[in-house]
Order: sequence, then C-alpha cells, then structure tokens
Amino acid sequence: MDVLTVKNLSVSFYRPSCEIEAVKNASFSLQPGEILVIMGDTGCGKSVLCKSIVRLLPDIARIKSGQILFQGKDITHYSEREMQKLRGNAFSMVFQNPMTALNPCMSVGAQIAEAVRLRKPQIARKELQDEVAGLMELVGLDCPEKQAKQYPHQFSGGMAQRCVTAIALAADPDVLFADEPTTALDGEMQEQILELFLKLREKLGMAVIFITHNPHVAARIADRAALMRAGEIYRIGDAEEILEKHIYDNYQ
Amino acid sequence: MKNTYMTIISELIRFMLSVFLLSVLVFTMSRLAPGDPLYAYYGDRVEKMSLEEQEAARERLGLDASIPVQYMRWLKGAVRGDFGISYKYKRDVKEVIAERIGNTLLLGGLGFVIIFILALLLGLFCAWREEKPADRIVCGIGTVTSCIPEFWLSLLLILVFSVWLGWLPSAGAYTVGMDKNLADRGRHLILPLTVVVLGHLWYYAYLVRNRLLEETRADYVLLARMKGLSGKQVLYRHCLPNALPSYLSMMAIALPHILGGAYVVETVFSYPGIGTLAYESARYQDYNLLMVVSLMTGVLVIFGNMLARLLNGHIDPRTDRRAGAFRGEADGL
Amino acid sequence: MKKKFPGLSLALLTIIVIACMASELLMTKDPAYMDLARGDIAPCREFLFGTDAMGRDIFSMIWYGGRVSLLIGFGATLISTVIGILVGSVSGYGPSGIDGVLMRLTDIVLSIPGLLLTVFLQAVLGGADVFRLAVVIGLTGWMSLARVVRTEVLQLKNTDFVLASKCLGGGFFHILRRHLAPNFVASILFMAVMNVRNAIVAESTLSFMGIGLPLEVISWGSMLSLSENAMLSRSWWTVFIPGVFLAATLLCLTNLGNYMRKSISRRHSNL
Repeated sequence: MDVLTVKNLSVSFYRPSCEIEAVKNASFSLQPGEILVIMGDTGCGKSVLCKSIVRLLPDIARIKSGQILFQGKDITHYSEREMQKLRGNAFSMVFQNPMTALNPCMSVGAQIAEAVRLRKPQIARKELQDEVAGLMELVGLDCPEKQAKQYPHQFSGGMAQRCVTAIALAADPDVLFADEPTTALDGEMQEQILELFLKLREKLGMAVIFITHNPHVAARIADRAALMRAGEIYRIGDAEEILEKHIYDNYQ
Repeated sequence: MKNTYMTIISELIRFMLSVFLLSVLVFTMSRLAPGDPLYAYYGDRVEKMSLEEQEAARERLGLDASIPVQYMRWLKGAVRGDFGISYKYKRDVKEVIAERIGNTLLLGGLGFVIIFILALLLGLFCAWREEKPADRIVCGIGTVTSCIPEFWLSLLLILVFSVWLGWLPSAGAYTVGMDKNLADRGRHLILPLTVVVLGHLWYYAYLVRNRLLEETRADYVLLARMKGLSGKQVLYRHCLPNALPSYLSMMAIALPHILGGAYVVETVFSYPGIGTLAYESARYQDYNLLMVVSLMTGVLVIFGNMLARLLNGHIDPRTDRRAGAFRGEADGL
Repeated sequence: MKKKFPGLSLALLTIIVIACMASELLMTKDPAYMDLARGDIAPCREFLFGTDAMGRDIFSMIWYGGRVSLLIGFGATLISTVIGILVGSVSGYGPSGIDGVLMRLTDIVLSIPGLLLTVFLQAVLGGADVFRLAVVIGLTGWMSLARVVRTEVLQLKNTDFVLASKCLGGGFFHILRRHLAPNFVASILFMAVMNVRNAIVAESTLSFMGIGLPLEVISWGSMLSLSENAMLSRSWWTVFIPGVFLAATLLCLTNLGNYMRKSISRRHSNL
C-alpha cells in the first residue's frame, strides 16, 4: 500500500486583491522506502506542495481542493491538533538553510532532545542523552558529547544540516520531506549529505520526498522523479527515464 | 577569562568618566543659570539684607569663589561622602534624600516590576493572536492609553476616585500619623502607581509584541513546529528565549526612566519622593541638593545603559560561548 | 501585511488643525476676557464648554490655545529634527573619531535629567513665551532621532546598492538623494511625527507644572494648570475638555506615525 497519496491537490494563496494558485491539480503517490524527487525551477510550487501536505502554510494559503491520504487515511481535513500529532511522528522535514532553521539561542543537543522528548514524554534523562548521542552519530557527527553542547553558530553549514537531519530522524518518520537540503551547501558538503540520505534510507527504510532544482542532485538520489512547472506536475515516473528526457529537452 | 577582566575594567573606567563629566556639566549648568541661591536659603528675607550681609552669607555658603574652585571644593567633599547642606531644608543633603528615597523606590520599583511582567504577558498574548480581533482590541486600547498625558490621567483619576467617589486619597504617601500603617500606604499608592504603569506599559508591550512577531517569521519556527510542537509551545519555548535578551536590555534602559521619571506623577499627587525634590531644587537653585539628585538620576541612566550593553553581549550565545549555562544545560546536555 | 491608511485620524487631525488656525471665526467670546463673577459655569448654551475659574470661555480658549500648542509642537519638532538629522548623519557618515565624540555627547546629554535641562535652558533663554518654549523643547528632544539616523546611515553606507552606485560613478549627493534618502525617509518621518507628539506633551506638562507658559498665555497645557482649583469646585469640564482635545490630537499623530513607520516584515508568521 502507498504510504502517501496525493490526489488532484490545489493550493491557493488568498491575498486581499486576488487569488494565486500555487499548486494546481497535483497528483502522486509514494511507496514505503522510496525516494521521490520533485524537481522544478524556483517558485514553481514544489515547496508549497510539501508544506501543504504537512500543513505548515501561512494563514493566507489554503488547500482549495483535492485529497491527501496517509496510509490510506484521508488527512486533508484533519484539525490542527490532529496534524500536530502527525508532525514529528509520521512526517518530518529537513529545511533548505540549516543556519536559519536551527534556533540560535538553544544548544544543538537541547534541540534534538526536544524532538525526542515530544515522542517519548516519559523518557529518563540518561536514556534521553543516549538517544541524542545515537542520533548524532547516525547523521555522522562524530563526537556527540562535545557537539551537543554547542550552538548552531559554531557549526559549519554541513554540520548544521546534519543536526537538522538528526532532529528530523528523532521522529522516526514514515515520510521524510527534504526541502532543498543541499542547495545552501557547497559541492563537497552536498555530496556528503546526499550520501547520508541514501544511507539513512537503507538503514531506516523511510520514504523520502526530496525537493531540488538541480538535475545532478536528482539523478544521484532519485528512485522516481516528478517534474513541476508553474504549479503543475507535468511529468512523473521512473527517475532515469524522466531525468534523461528532461536533460534532453533542456539541451536541445 | 582575562577578557572578562578587561571588559569589566574598561566598563568601569567608562562609567567613572561618564559620571565625572556629568557632574562637571550639571555643576556648571546650575551655576551659570540665572537665579540667586540665597533666595533658597533665606527666602524673601534676602531683599531686606544689606549688600554686606549678602556678601557675608555668600562667603559662608562658599558661593563667592569662581566655578572651578567651587567645583573642586565640592568634589573634595563628595569624595569623602560630604555633599553639603540643602539651602532650603538647612540640613545635610543626605538626610533630606534618605527621608524620601524609600517612597520613590516603592512607587518606581513597584511600577517597574509590574510593567516588566505585564508588558511581557501582553506582548506574548498579542503576538500569539496576531492580527486577530483580540490582538487588535488590545493594540487599540494600548495606543489610546499611551496617548494620554500622565498628568492629565492623574487629574482624571483624582477627579473620579477621590473627588467624586471618595474611595482613594488624592495626595501624600500616608495619612498624617499613620505612616506605619501598610494598608494606608497601599491606599495612597494605588492611584500614582496606576498612572506610572499605564504611562509606560503599552510602549514596552508593543515592543515585545513586534520583537516576537519578528521571531515568528524565522525559519527555526518551522523546524520546531515540524517536531510536533504547537504554535503556542513554539512561541514560549523558542521565540520567547530569542526575544528575551533584547527585552532585558531594553528594560535595563527603561529602569531609570520609570524609576526616576515619576516626577510629574509625584508632583500631581504631592507624593513626597525624589521627583518633587528634583523639581524644587532645580527651580530654586538649591545647588547641593540639585547636584546629588541629578547625579543619582544620571548614574542610574549610565548604569542602565551599561547593563544593557553587558546583557546584550553576554546572554546571547552567538556573542559569547560561555553563556551555555543560560539554556540547554537545564536538560543535562 | 499592508497597513490600513488611518483616514479617520488624518481627517480628525486636519479638522483640529484648521479649526485652531481659523480660531477667530469659531470663537464666540474673547478667550482672554476674564470675568471672575462668572467663573466655573458648567457647559450651557452661552458657554458651550463652560467657563474656567477665571471666568474665561473654554470653547473659545480651546481653539485659540490649540494654536499655541500646535505651533510649539511643530516648531520644536522642526528644531529637533534638523539637529537630529545633522548630528546623526555626520556621526554615521563621518570618521569613527567624530562618531565616537558625538555619540558620547548624545549619551551624556541623555543622562542629564530632562527636567533639569529644561529648567536650565529656560533660565538661560530667559522668560517663557511661545517661541522660547519651542526652542527649549526642541533642544531637549533631538537625541533619539540622531541615534536612529546614525544607525540607518551606518547600515546603508555599506549596502551593495550604494557600492554599485559608487562603482557606476554616482557622486555623494546623487547617492544621498537617490539611494540613501528614500531609505531612511520612512523612519525619520515616523520619528518626526512622534517628536511633534512628544513636544505637545512636553508643552502641556511643563505649562501644567507651572514652568512652561504662564496662565495668561492660553494653551491646552496652561488651561489645565488651573486644575487644583477645579478639584475643589468640582468643575470637571475645565479638566476634562482641554485634555480630550489634547489626547485626541496625540492619538491621531500616533496613528499617522505608525502608518509611516516601516512595517516589521512583509512575510507571514510561521506559527
């Protein structure tokens, strides 16, 4: 069974003067353990698509029509309280800019611990520490004891992105959304983070929706790919085939 | 750690220098201003005194020398803790102030604490309900209260609660002969305190609100919500700690304004505090009293600014690595 | 988040300003005419807002005195804004030495108790009339504006668009006019409007306390200085009416100022 199905989803921004349709009639499904890459230019609505699934859109944006099914259950009209239970449990997300996504006033360890404690409220302090250290090791931060006490500004972009990933993994999610997690990083770091994602998928078996505008990144990681333009998914299917066509179209 | 000592020493030097400059300035200003301090001392009797008598009086009070000489004399005394006598009260300046400082600290200090807490709560509430009806109503009421001049608000309150309803006293800090009675003091405090609080509250609450709204636009809010925190939890656990350092430094600057800025309120309510004293001494050239009162206010301002600078530099982990004790460590991490 | 234009405030303020400027047309009595026998009369058909303890007609005084209050408000702001912009921009654009001296100076002036500064300046200038009071209030109100201008200039000085303009050969005045001014005009306008507000408050407070305008010079502040008397005679209108006009004017100014201020952020809350 699909872990996530999106059917004919339309999302609009309602401004006082006009309505802007950011996502139009988008449909796709996601198998457990699969990496689906959503690719498109800046502003084509791929980020809005993801945020509307987890319902982290600003007040002025609303789902206009369509359906979102998670493990067969319709979550389109879930209340904020019900969605809150899904976020950090079934869904989690890695963001584009790790330096702004981490709270600058809180130590990295505390931020990871917070995510763990939300899922296991009764956890003892010692276990919590162990779990945080385990998560940090999992994402490749090699001396967790020391690094847990540090603050985001003391980290490089790549390390910070690993922390954000650790926070996302604390939820033990069924679906991990990755909103351009490599865009803000330089070449070397990009490669490392991509490898990390592949390794994690192998180990934890979660499904990943990976957003990017970079075809090389997409080719590196995708099982399947969807192409977006002006709010519409205009092509979806096996990664190799889609990307080949895309590159062919663009370089003709 | 060496760095810390250097900071403390340089801050201390800066502090002393500012206080010294302030004292020179106030001293010179008060003496250059036209007006005769003899009137403060002798009242209208000055007019009946002969010129020789006036000269003698001036000499006795040390007012005959040039300003630099007078200043050096004052400084010598001040270093030993001798600030001279008040011309009007004909007693040691320190005694005159000691009598009243408690009242001002009570009014201003209590006002400050109430403003500090209420501004934070109101700001949080408005930020949480941003642009919703509740926020708009609070903002509207707040803007209106911030536009009412303090003295007029005092007059209205006196008119309503003292003159018409007769519930609360309109003047003084206590009923004569009942200065040990706490309930009586409290009753005298209600109206001035209300004015002090209402006069400043919205200014700070609005700053807190806007500061928090800036924070709610940050990316880390999305990550925190993605962890499964509710909007309210994110506001308390993430946005508030980020906004707190600037709020604290803002309140450090506000301290002298609230504590020392109550002279209008004190005057309207004939509340025997430092504010009324400052007003009298400035108007009637009571030099020695004026110096001490001005220096007290000035030192408080300079101290508040210094505190704000230090707070800014030390609470925020981005500027100081040793600040880990502030947060995060509470989790044992 | 587009801000709503405060049309009501602007309209009300315009009405008050025009009415005060054209007070001669509105006044039903001579505002300075004292008739002690007819003091403290409650609002009635002859005296729309009643009379004060001196028997002057409050309705006429409001418009006549409003002119003085507004004049002081705008006059003082003109002075403080000019000083503030000068000090702030020299401090922000000039070398760091001058900047340090000017900012220390501002700090020190700020730490002198405001009341003392006012009393001192008044004593130096001598006598209390409308013009002198405006100067005194203007001279005590430029500090925060100077700081704001300085911060703005410092921030803008090193932005890429200023650098780009320099690279393209833009001269100092070109940069100031086309790039710097449009950027800090919003915050300066806001501060200036707030300064008008503060100056009006200062005038009324000082006059009320007896160190501003004397009783004979009619302004909203000096009208309120008779309030002691009103407390005894319970003539609430002598306290209430001038204050309402004062507060309404201040409220309109605040709303206008807030509209001019830069909005916090155009983005939407993530909460």
